[in-house]
Amino acid sequence: MDKKLPDNMLQAALARDDPAAVELIWARYAGDLFAYLQVVLCSRHDAEDVLQTVFVKIVQKRHRLAKARCLDAYVYRIARNEAFRLIGRRKKGRTIEAVNESWLIVPEGRQEPDDLAEQLQAALANLPQPQREVIVMKIYKQKTFLEISGLLGLSQNTVASRYRYGMEKLRTLLENLIL
Amino acid sequence: MNDKDTQNEQLERFMRKAHLHKPSDELKKRITAEAAKTWNQISPELSWQIPIRRLFVSAAAAVFVIWLANCSSDYALAQWQSGGLEVAHQQPSDLDALPEIHYSPLARHLLSTGRKPSITDASALRSYAETVRRILDEAQQNGVSKPPAPVEGRSLLLPKQPGFNSYS
Repeated sequence: MDKKLPDNMLQAALARDDPAAVELIWARYAGDLFAYLQVVLCSRHDAEDVLQTVFVKIVQKRHRLAKARCLDAYVYRIARNEAFRLIGRRKKGRTIEAVNESWLIVPEGRQEPDDLAEQLQAALANLPQPQREVIVMKIYKQKTFLEISGLLGLSQNTVASRYRYGMEKLRTLLENLIL
Repeated sequence: MNDKDTQNEQLERFMRKAHLHKPSDELKKRITAEAAKTWNQISPELSWQIPIRRLFVSAAAAVFVIWLANCSSDYALAQWQSGGLEVAHQQPSDLDALPEIHYSPLARHLLSTGRKPSITDASALRSYAETVRRILDEAQQNGVSKPPAPVEGRSLLLPKQPGFNSYS
């Protein structure tokens, strides 16, 4: 997230109906939201579709966003709602675990097992969604518990306990790979 | 606790060997173009319109709910009124017929107590009036104001109730 851009600057651009705000929103949120959506949906393609929907929603609600007290939480709430809407739609057809698509990558040139990304992906997909989103925000986006609690609208204790339980499960699932 | 933290850090390091996909330039172009299109399509929503619109919607919803409640009430009342009037017309004059209707024990008790003859029923009043007239006639005929002796320890001015002295 581009923290160099303060909330009030972005909100001012939204309030004066400046189309350049779209670029600012992209610069600030696209990376984090895309990561978040990939983890929640366990699918890169679904994450791309939902990210587009989220941006359209942000544009539609730009005047409310301009007055929002916590911009980050508002944007994450939109993303979360859209992600769950998609999950609800696809629940009839296929489950999250059944999605066989790569959304984690291991950089080339590293001395790692070929299927490391798949194994990590499978382990993360086995976690309950609330634990998964906290772990990914903490590990892959280097966010603190305080920041995560603000984004998801939860208490710090809840976030910390979800992280702990999730890590315990991951340790069990990845026992063979870590040792 | 420290052991757990160390284990978590070790696991975090291991997991960071992989990373998530970043949004591609192609995706950026597609999404920003779509967002810009939406931006131009939608007329800017004036902030003062939002509460007014909400107020109108709330008022319309309230009127609808009240209308619905009135309709429901009228319907229920109409059914009750027609049934109630029939009952009123068919009320039997003979109170002995009432036990055929299924009353609660309390209602039955009230009905039975209500059927007891009142002190001021017609025959008692008539006999009371006759007694008074007789006393006055006797007083006129005798020309004295001596009151007659009470009968059976009771004042003659009081009406004699049927059944009151049945034990004697």
